[in-house]
Amino acid sequence: MRYQVLDHTADTGIVAYGVIPTELFENAGWGMFDLMYSLSGLDPVRDVPVMAAGDNLEELLVNWLSELLYHAEVLDLAFCYFTVDRLEEGGVQGSAGGVPSASLDLRGPPIKAVTYHDLAIVENPDTWWARVIFDV
Amino acid sequence: MDWRQIGTDVWELEPRDGMLVPARIYASQELFGKAESDRASQQVMNVAHLPGIVSASMAMPDIHWGYGFPIGGVAATDVEDGGVVSPGGVGFDICCGVRLLTSGYRLSDWEARGGQVMDELSRRIPRGLGKGAIADAGLLKAVLERGAAAVLEAGFGTPRDLDRCEERGTSSGADPGHISEKAFRRGRGQLGSLGAGNHFLEVQLVQRVFGEAASRFGLEEGMVCVMIHCGSRGLGHQTCTDQLQTMASAMAKHHISVPDRQLACVPVDSPEGERYLGAMAAAANFAWANRHVLAHEARAAFAVAFQTVPEATEMDLVYDVAHNLAKIETHLIEGHQRKLCVHRKGATRAFGPGHPDLAADLMASGQPVLVPGSMGTASWVLKGVDGNPAFGSAAHGAGRVLSRKKAKARQSGKTVRDDLESAGVAVRPGSVALLSEEAPYAYKDVDAVIEVCSRTTLAEKVARLIPLGVVKG
Repeated sequence: MRYQVLDHTADTGIVAYGVIPTELFENAGWGMFDLMYSLSGLDPVRDVPVMAAGDNLEELLVNWLSELLYHAEVLDLAFCYFTVDRLEEGGVQGSAGGVPSASLDLRGPPIKAVTYHDLAIVENPDTWWARVIFDV
Repeated sequence: MDWRQIGTDVWELEPRDGMLVPARIYASQELFGKAESDRASQQVMNVAHLPGIVSASMAMPDIHWGYGFPIGGVAATDVEDGGVVSPGGVGFDICCGVRLLTSGYRLSDWEARGGQVMDELSRRIPRGLGKGAIADAGLLKAVLERGAAAVLEAGFGTPRDLDRCEERGTSSGADPGHISEKAFRRGRGQLGSLGAGNHFLEVQLVQRVFGEAASRFGLEEGMVCVMIHCGSRGLGHQTCTDQLQTMASAMAKHHISVPDRQLACVPVDSPEGERYLGAMAAAANFAWANRHVLAHEARAAFAVAFQTVPEATEMDLVYDVAHNLAKIETHLIEGHQRKLCVHRKGATRAFGPGHPDLAADLMASGQPVLVPGSMGTASWVLKGVDGNPAFGSAAHGAGRVLSRKKAKARQSGKTVRDDLESAGVAVRPGSVALLSEEAPYAYKDVDAVIEVCSRTTLAEKVARLIPLGVVKG
């Protein structure tokens, strides 16, 4: 399972999963866009490099997701493919592939931003999970 | 938790565990119970930790769980006593707010031409995700500096509109130099657009008026009106995101810790605080201008449908007021005038009669307070009153009670649309699927919220409006 939807009264959120942190970041990206569009079966037609900085894993995750939202909005893309190449102290580097957002129907409200409210990243013996709340 | 009722519809919790002031919620027994059923009441307590907070961390009757601040949260900090400003007390949608227009049309006019009006509005009002704007991106720089005044000069709206805007539609202290290139790029294609989520343009009918303030505001029973709810779009969202990125190190520098990172804050009187407020005001200027442009387009839509000119539609602005903003205001605290940073996160400014910030023709009545209900239910116009106990603030809406996930599970968007149409509300959604998340049953009873506002002297009733048509993202 890549992610689960969380219940939140006004906004929305996910718990994303990954065997390693890079996969966790990729799946968090998938979960965020899958809330807005049905991503299954989509093939990306355009790739965008995505980089973000941060002082810790939490900041890196929020800033990675925020960068994805930024690129999606200015390029009119719905991202459906995520690759994290490097995740290290101070930075995350990867790419996202997407399709024109105008070609898709929204199935959830557009996400305005990624919040720090209730943010958590937890390492279990065989997996990582992250909880993220979005402003919609 | 040890909340106790200290008056009619007023609940309070004494400070504990690092809270600097009490937490206070204005709510009936039923609404208070709803606030306690999720984490909203805890969020009121968290806000009470903000350095320099005075009086109490407050919440309006439409309180519900947000991020950082509760939605409906009001907090004021003393600027001259280390008081902070928190972007979480404003939110990502900086200066989200509501604008209400009158019209010269009555229900019989609507019955004759309402369909054409809705089709014209649907055609003209950009909504949903991303781009689609009425105004040219070339106006953006001037808009960030001067808000609604900049789009007025470009030919949108009327000079009188500015008289009926909070701050005359221009936030003071705006510093576009603190708007990032990213925020600028997001705003370029969105000047004059609704967005999605709970934002809307609604055609409404004045069902009932209360007292003489209604006529002062230009409202009378049977009048068709237009209400617009939206904010600063991607430009505002990016501005808040940008500012939050620098807050963690600034908080460490100022030795501030808070119970929720989304409550990140810095002293108002610090370089970081000034930078945030300058950026926030510039983004707010986008929001004032955005609603101004949308109102212009609504006038044009009515004019086309009624085969006349916009001036003949008599679509005058009742008021435009924000409900997501932090403002430097002077209030009386324990007998002394204090300079405060008042955060209203999902709360509407509600100044009473005689307040110096009001236009001359509103001095006697007090400020119009606009409270939209949920899609398909009533909305209200209130007025500010003397003795408001919440730094001149009132509710901003009905307040959600069901999560989006639960609302969606209950009915499909198509069923919600069909039900609204059957009830006589014309619906023009950008996405039918999204209607279910904003269905009336997802929200509290707005009338109950208004009753609490009235009983607790947050604001007084002026008019109740019911929906005729809604344009949504």
